[in-house]
Amino acid sequence: MEAAVQEKIERILKGELKYSSSNLAFNMLITKMQKKLQADPGSMGSCMEEMDAFLAKYPIVAKVDLANIAAL
Amino acid sequence: MLITLEETISLINEGKILHIAGDDSLLSALPKGKWIGGTTPYFIGEDGGVCTKDRLSVTELGFAEDVRITSYGKYNVFQIVEECFDNGLNLIILPYGSDVITKYSKEAPEVEELLMHPTMGWISGFKLDEEGVAKVYDGMSGEAYTDRAVVMFIKLPEGKSAMINMINIFTDDKSDPVIRFSDNELSVRKCTVDGREINLSEYIEKNGINAMMPLVADYNGAYINTSIKAVENGTVSFYAPVFKDVEYRFAKPVGDYAEEFKRSIDAAGPHDPIISFNCILNYMNGELEGKKIPPYTGPITFGEVAYQLLNQTLVYCEIL
Repeated sequence: MEAAVQEKIERILKGELKYSSSNLAFNMLITKMQKKLQADPGSMGSCMEEMDAFLAKYPIVAKVDLANIAAL
Repeated sequence: MLITLEETISLINEGKILHIAGDDSLLSALPKGKWIGGTTPYFIGEDGGVCTKDRLSVTELGFAEDVRITSYGKYNVFQIVEECFDNGLNLIILPYGSDVITKYSKEAPEVEELLMHPTMGWISGFKLDEEGVAKVYDGMSGEAYTDRAVVMFIKLPEGKSAMINMINIFTDDKSDPVIRFSDNELSVRKCTVDGREINLSEYIEKNGINAMMPLVADYNGAYINTSIKAVENGTVSFYAPVFKDVEYRFAKPVGDYAEEFKRSIDAAGPHDPIISFNCILNYMNGELEGKKIPPYTGPITFGEVAYQLLNQTLVYCEIL
């Protein structure tokens, strides 16, 4: 994942950027990671690992969403 | 497709992999085979919505490379994330009113790895004006359950993925008060509204809120409904749990439910679902009897599963 996109995903998880996917599971995952991060601000690393794992498993989602996130 | 008992038996005996919904009298007459099923007399067929005990809603899952069928109780239902195919689709049916639903609905959103494994399904039910018993069927063993979930693990071909999505007519108004709950609960007395602790049933009454409107939570643009089952004796009970640390608002009022439901289907754009499950509240309030909503056909349910338990939605899956 490009550093610029990674930074934007981190900002989405912190609630600084708004992003809505057309993929339900990805929206649910973002919400889950946002809650996890609110409860434990030091968990960004593990949140990003979960995001990475999801996007690696679903390249169809990743292709669309990473392009959209890059354009934010 | 809505077909007769005899036609369904033929498909099972041909070795087809099937998802079946129908009245208990028909499901109990089916032979063993590669199928799972759940009870409901309500369907959306190719000719529109219908309530019938004479036909079965049968979906052939011809894309499956392999299947396994297992049942789970409340103590082990989340083993599905360990026992499923790595690249697959998990079809789950849970009987209405069972402990396994309570367990699944309260804990699914927090289960590690669940979002990594496409999981969809529905809550089986019965005819609303009868005192029915909701059941699920494991066609492989021939067993029926009222207290266990049945799951079909479907292995997908290499390079294919299951994409689960939903259609929901409800949204929120961000200027409305934010409602929060202190725990994951199926019934509550207290909550906070804009940070102020109040009794939810009194709040509903005082503000003239239509309890037909669900609470909605915004999951990054995906609105998740929690429908109200009853408001009585100072307690509000729900068809799915409310969760702590989630912001809720009452859904924006819908003028013409049936028209809004049709508009939402149109707005969702073209899709090619392999299976779909639609809520009984959409069927009733959307006046879907006799109405077609192509390309969505399948059982009308007492709750839908798209990873977690949902209310008042149409859930569908595409294989891409």
